[in-house]
Amino acid sequence: MNTRSSRPAPHHCNTVPAGFWLWRYRSAERDWSLLIPRRALGVNLLLTVLLLTAATASLGLGDVKLSPLQVWHALLGDGSVLHQLVVRELRLQRVLAGIATGAAFALSGCLMQTLARNRLATPGIIGIDNAATAFAVASVVGTGLSLAPSAMSLAGAATATALAFGLAGDSGTRGYRFIIAGVGIGAIAGAITQFMLSQAAIDDANAAFPWTVGSLNARNPEATALLGIGLLLGLVWALRLARPLQLVQVSEAVSISLGVDLKRVRRQSLALSVLLTGLAVAVAGPVGLVALLGPEVARTLCRHRGVSLLAAALSGALLMLLADLAGRLLLAPLEVPVGIVTALIGSPYLLWMLLNPSYRSQP
Amino acid sequence: MSRQDARPLTPLLIAAGFVLLAVCVTSLLLGAGDVGPTSAARVLLGSGSDEARFVVTQLRLPRTLIGLMVGIALGCAGALMQTLARNPLAEPGLLGVSAGSSFAVTLALLAGASAATLSVHAAQLGALLGCLLVLTAARIQGVGNDPIRLVLAGATLTGLLMSLMSLLLMLDQRTADEIRFWIIGSLAGRDLDTLYAVLPSLLLALLLVLLILRPLAALALGERVAQGLGHHPGRVRLLAVTAVALLVGAATAVAGPVIFVGLVVPFVARALAGPDIRRTLWLCLPIGPIIVIGADILSRLLAAPAELPLGVVTALVGAPVLLLVIRGRRLPAL
Repeated sequence: MNTRSSRPAPHHCNTVPAGFWLWRYRSAERDWSLLIPRRALGVNLLLTVLLLTAATASLGLGDVKLSPLQVWHALLGDGSVLHQLVVRELRLQRVLAGIATGAAFALSGCLMQTLARNRLATPGIIGIDNAATAFAVASVVGTGLSLAPSAMSLAGAATATALAFGLAGDSGTRGYRFIIAGVGIGAIAGAITQFMLSQAAIDDANAAFPWTVGSLNARNPEATALLGIGLLLGLVWALRLARPLQLVQVSEAVSISLGVDLKRVRRQSLALSVLLTGLAVAVAGPVGLVALLGPEVARTLCRHRGVSLLAAALSGALLMLLADLAGRLLLAPLEVPVGIVTALIGSPYLLWMLLNPSYRSQP
Repeated sequence: MSRQDARPLTPLLIAAGFVLLAVCVTSLLLGAGDVGPTSAARVLLGSGSDEARFVVTQLRLPRTLIGLMVGIALGCAGALMQTLARNPLAEPGLLGVSAGSSFAVTLALLAGASAATLSVHAAQLGALLGCLLVLTAARIQGVGNDPIRLVLAGATLTGLLMSLMSLLLMLDQRTADEIRFWIIGSLAGRDLDTLYAVLPSLLLALLLVLLILRPLAALALGERVAQGLGHHPGRVRLLAVTAVALLVGAATAVAGPVIFVGLVVPFVARALAGPDIRRTLWLCLPIGPIIVIGADILSRLLAAPAELPLGVVTALVGAPVLLLVIRGRRLPAL
């Protein structure tokens, strides 16, 4: 405490709000301090542990059953050749793809919900998924374009977003109009996908089909790698946006007076959301309900109305892994696509949310 | 409103009738095959080659008749639902009624049924359940006066039923093969027998609609007003729901799920004749088939020699109308 006499500490450092830890670092030039929300930290740690458990289970379960210990041995490079083959060659990619797509969907859902200040404004509901799928299917079937699916689905996601916001007119990102506009766009995109599938040669159609329901089976390694890179960059970018977004969520007027460049924040989070959705759809197809469920789980766990981007991404990844695992195991040897599993879990929840008399649209 | 009421209905109806006739003839004349308009016209006038005669009477005529029936059914069902739910976006396809109907047909096929008549009843039963769900939802506090929440709930229900259907179809290859071409709404390759099977229920439904037209118009003004005028809102609602279920079930059993028709037809009718259901319903009778058969003609020509599914064309036409409706200022006012 004797250092304080030499340099008066900022006033707010003296009292730590309830539920937070204060982390301080003093260097020669200036003081650093950071408020760490205790609950959010705990939730993130818990989610990470759960995610690792689910990943281990997903690596270990299947036709060849492995114990968790065997899984970790195989991952680290010892254990029998068969185990290494199963874990590292066959299952690891799928698990990584599941984690990446789940995190990307949930992160982009959380960003868009915050941006539009509406819990329903997730890429799946406003038709971005469908449009991205339509474009990606176009690259596989029919058109003969050799463009990578990632590029095409990005283009689709961007087109749908631009259309939804453009057609919603002056009401901008607020309100419901743009959600319904998105529903319409999603319907058109879905119809176009159906059309392309009906016109394509049967082999192409079969190749593209898993995409249209959402599955981790048909992933393309390059698209997965692109998603991995995009997700890492996106996470960093999103965490930088978290602070201004939190202010925007409290009040737009307050955030402007505190020096937030509202337009820039909106533009950036929308772009990031579109980018993540496009890349994720290229890998797994439209599993859009994860974008709704992930942030909801995170908000429920964190119990505060802030923007819990990291927790949302973690819960999205966890949900995706669990849904994929359930789809693989429940009706084995048949494999239920992960899109169907999430729809079966997510739609009743969404219905309950919509029909609940005490429903609030704000996240 | 009074200005629009002053517009006489009869000329509108006659004009719509002529347009419908023209569309029907066009549907007989145009197609993706080799039989061109002139040789088809010759068949209509009583001459023409055997091949042309076969194409016109065996292929294009059933399609046109089915389009006529599907258009009438879906157009009326849309108008009824919008009045019932007092919501301009209420549409059997969007709200999950068609999905309920398709789901029931899938279940019936899984249970081993393949006769046309059984799937009709299954479709109507499914549509009835879907309707009741929608109306129950619409009566929940806060949902009924928020059209968009209702539509989103309907879209979610549709998504849920569709995923359940894909799950069931994965388990049963035979049903999947039987249903795959039906599940994309289309008028092509449908059986006239199914049409005959649904005709009685269609007529019954139209009769029902005639009976409840006046009480429905009163109900559109509000529950209290309808009661004050001596009607029984509960009973009227139940009859209207039955009619919608019969209509949508019949249309779905014949053509598969076709969305957006029930949105577009009443929208056009309202634009022409004003908001009174007693006037719009009459206009829906010709406008429904005009739109369905018109969409079917487009579906034949746009991708010739292949065919677009009808549902794709109606979605392409209907989604912009959806956008128009929500851009209108008086959205929750119906």
